[in-house]
Amino acid sequence: MRAILRVCDLSVRDQKGTLLVEAVSFAIPQAGAVVLIGETGSGKSLVAQAVLGLVPEGLSVQGRIEFDGRTVELSDRAALRQYWANHLALVPQEPRAALDPTMRVLPQITGLAKQAHAHQAMTSLSLRASVGRQYPFMLSGGMAQRVLVAGALTTQAPVVIADEPTKGLDDDRVEETVSRIRQLLDHGRAVLAITHDIRVARGLGGHIGVMRAGRMLEQGPVEEVILAPRHAYTRAWLDADPDRWPRRTAQRIAEPVLHAQKLTYAVGDRRLFQDLSLTLLRGSITAITGPSGCGKTMLGNVLLGLARPHAGTVRWCDGTDPHRVRRPALRARFQKLHQDPASAFMPGRVLRRQLEDLKPVLPFGCLARDLPPLLDRLAVQPSLLERRPDEVSGGELQRIAIARILLFKPYCLVADEPTSRLDPLVQREVTELLRTLVDEQDMSLVLTSHDKRLVRAVAHDVIDLQ
Amino acid sequence: MQRAVRHAVPRAVLRRVLEALSVALILATICFALLHAIPGDMALRIAVGQLGTENMSPAAVEQIRDAEMLSRPLLVQYFDWLKAVATGDIGRSFVSGRPVAEELRQAGGYTLRLAVIAWLLSYALALPLGIAAGLKPDGAIDRATAFAAAAFSSLPTFLIGIALISIFVLALNLLPPAGYRRPEHLVLPAITLALGLMAPSMRVIRDAVAEVQASAYMTYAHVRGFGKAKAFIRHGLRNASVPIVTFAALQFAYLMDGFFVVETLFNFPGIGNAMVSALLARDVPVVMGCALLIGTTFAAISLAADLICMWMDPRLVDEGHGSR
Amino acid sequence: MAAVDQRLLWTIGAATAVTIVTIAVIIGRDPLHQDLAVALAPPSMLFPLGTDHLGRDVFARLFHALPRSIGIATSAMAAAVTIGTLVGLAAAVSNRLVDAAMMRLTDLALAFPGLLLAMVLAGLMGGGMLPVLVGIALGQWPQFARMTRSVAAAAMTEAHVEASRLAGLAGWRILLRQVMPRVLIHTASLAALGVGGAVLTISSLGFLGLGLQPPTPEWGAMITELLPYMDVAPVQIAAPCVALFVTVLTCMIAGRRLAEAI
Repeated sequence: MRAILRVCDLSVRDQKGTLLVEAVSFAIPQAGAVVLIGETGSGKSLVAQAVLGLVPEGLSVQGRIEFDGRTVELSDRAALRQYWANHLALVPQEPRAALDPTMRVLPQITGLAKQAHAHQAMTSLSLRASVGRQYPFMLSGGMAQRVLVAGALTTQAPVVIADEPTKGLDDDRVEETVSRIRQLLDHGRAVLAITHDIRVARGLGGHIGVMRAGRMLEQGPVEEVILAPRHAYTRAWLDADPDRWPRRTAQRIAEPVLHAQKLTYAVGDRRLFQDLSLTLLRGSITAITGPSGCGKTMLGNVLLGLARPHAGTVRWCDGTDPHRVRRPALRARFQKLHQDPASAFMPGRVLRRQLEDLKPVLPFGCLARDLPPLLDRLAVQPSLLERRPDEVSGGELQRIAIARILLFKPYCLVADEPTSRLDPLVQREVTELLRTLVDEQDMSLVLTSHDKRLVRAVAHDVIDLQ
Repeated sequence: MQRAVRHAVPRAVLRRVLEALSVALILATICFALLHAIPGDMALRIAVGQLGTENMSPAAVEQIRDAEMLSRPLLVQYFDWLKAVATGDIGRSFVSGRPVAEELRQAGGYTLRLAVIAWLLSYALALPLGIAAGLKPDGAIDRATAFAAAAFSSLPTFLIGIALISIFVLALNLLPPAGYRRPEHLVLPAITLALGLMAPSMRVIRDAVAEVQASAYMTYAHVRGFGKAKAFIRHGLRNASVPIVTFAALQFAYLMDGFFVVETLFNFPGIGNAMVSALLARDVPVVMGCALLIGTTFAAISLAADLICMWMDPRLVDEGHGSR
Repeated sequence: MAAVDQRLLWTIGAATAVTIVTIAVIIGRDPLHQDLAVALAPPSMLFPLGTDHLGRDVFARLFHALPRSIGIATSAMAAAVTIGTLVGLAAAVSNRLVDAAMMRLTDLALAFPGLLLAMVLAGLMGGGMLPVLVGIALGQWPQFARMTRSVAAAAMTEAHVEASRLAGLAGWRILLRQVMPRVLIHTASLAALGVGGAVLTISSLGFLGLGLQPPTPEWGAMITELLPYMDVAPVQIAAPCVALFVTVLTCMIAGRRLAEAI
């Protein structure tokens, strides 16, 4: 197959001369797809930015691209600019931020093309004409993305770059997004997709390139790489897919820690959940799932007594209702693990101090007695506690947050999307840890997650908020 | 969308009108309280104002006390007085004896003329400089304007005025110093006000432009083949205008502060000058008239800014609030 | 490292020396002493910055005005910060109704043009320190209330505050340890800018004849008094101008530095 765009020896360096991307080469076949996959910081986005000439100021690029036989140096940003719109189109990362908030949709996607052309592009993506008259803030994220795909179709560009098309999307939207991008292929455009989600590669087919720490570890046709990965990292990556996790056998102790009856919570006119009853058992994992904005976090907060439901009651295992009692005796036994570990600690205060701040609510001597073995169990170096939160990595901070929670010997832990911002490998590690802690500590874990596959892999009970 | 617009605009108008009314009411109350709190006999002061010191007599004072009904309980006086204010009758000046409304109409006209010229002049200077600085953050123009803005915002208005007087009047003898008879008299006060206004607005314009330039939709427009200039005109101007217009309205407050000083310095017969002389003479009805006029104008301008912002940025209509 | 320390020492030493000499020179100089025989005298050894139209020492007046202006400005700002922080915190921790009511009040207070309130108060109450101070504080507190509320409300939704609440820590402890530091950083920068603005307001009021009353030395009033003698006494009028500019610029730069440090 003839290559329409060939990227040769692309390297990116920062101001100090450190290599961020090292000699990456690949070729995009005409009307075919290339998917670059890798974790955060692997340099995959820099590759896309370098091809477009949009690398942030201060970084220097070397290498060249071959376009239909012509060669362009990647260090020459002005020359790359000539290729915009006519040869290269972009479907940007965050669809809604890429649209001018003060301009209606149709003139924006028309761009330099004829309006009839834009109409045609919108129709081919089954966007109604009325969408063209709306302002970007009135569109949903998915709709905005469709608009941007239509925008790519109004240009003549044979190559479309899709930057993280599934970032921040709900689980069930991924398929939809992939099929939307496949429509670009159906229209005869070639696609370069940048992603951290293996499902994008599976869905688009074509070639896949696995990147790590600025290097291309391996590349080849998607089926070959997935079926027979040559590199250990690729194999680990594929195994981190929740669909491939080993199922766990249920071993419940039927001792309830929380009863909730007929809970209702509404925001304005919208009911997030209604007449919801549930019981949490020790040693079991209950998952709350649903699309973003469906009230997963809110339900967790209601169970913890942080947010008052509009109707219904919550009863903890000693019979108190946390919404009726001002200072429930079991307050600290019902804990929460936050999504972003960095925000779960006060910025600028040494971690050990932050743990010592808890002394007034901990039993006397508990900190000195229980903390060292906990840190040991969670494989946290005690010296890390002498640092401030921003001097510790995300994964370590998450484990320190877990240690802080375990100091209270919780009966119930609500983990709010604990892995949604983590790369697949770390995601698996953290989830495994939580799973074993449920058994060891004999607590009840409530896991909120939009990732249905993750939920399927670990939970005993699933509450789906649709 | 249509429904949102129908609701949002009247709501903004209602809010600002209520605000203007409350401001007026509070100012009026403060003035009334102070009027009765300042030491000395009210009737005596009014008599001095209307008749002059020479024609004063105890009988005249008593006559005025009866005429103005000053012996009634304070609360009754307050409500009667509010009623009169609501119908537009603020009373007569203690000093000149003329109706306050009449005096203010004249002074307001002068001030409005000065305000419009100073305003236009300041934006004529600030817009090109601010945009140039924002298009190239950290460039030479940006740094120079940042320095100038810091210096100008640390200068009290009267110092700018004094500097201009010493250059253009005393040294070069180009312009008339003070008063208001010919249009040339407007030049120095207007420049003084404009220079004071320019410093902060230049920075706001620069920040707005720089933010828009760095936005994702700007990059996207570039990648879609729009050149720098074309993309800026298409997407930049409108988006950058929202914070600028909001700020322009808030700047009316700065302009107000400026009036008091500049009009006094140049002896310009506007509202600011009237208010300062009235304060010095304890001419409470005039002070109150000025305060009411300034307070309500301020609210009216805020309302205009809200409406303009809603028209420019449809998101604000959806959220149902404008500037601030 | 050592070089930096030495430079710092030198700077501190020099500043101390200058301060001591200045204080020594000023003490024993009466800013109110009039001597018409030396009216509008040019700068000399005896009068480093000359004398004004009443023969008073401009140098002495200049330096006696400094602590007074700064004192009024900082006290006014302290009052504004106290009121603003209390109102803002109260709004942030209260239920929606109280919050809305307090913020309406703040909006209303913000709807007054800045100098107007200070002018009306100081003007009608006959100048003097207290009316000026009250007028400035009344004009400034709303911005602190607004800022405190938004910063505190944002801080209270943060995960680390929620974690402390879940641990059962008392509300006041969380407010003091986790919310207030955040608020105070923002307050500091706003207050530094505010002190600069207040010094400007004091001098503007003085210039208009509505602020501190003569014969109290005050920069704005000094400038007004000497304005008719601009051509014969340039140094005498330039001195308070420069003092004013430097003081305000220092506050502004400090405020901006603090804001950048956030």
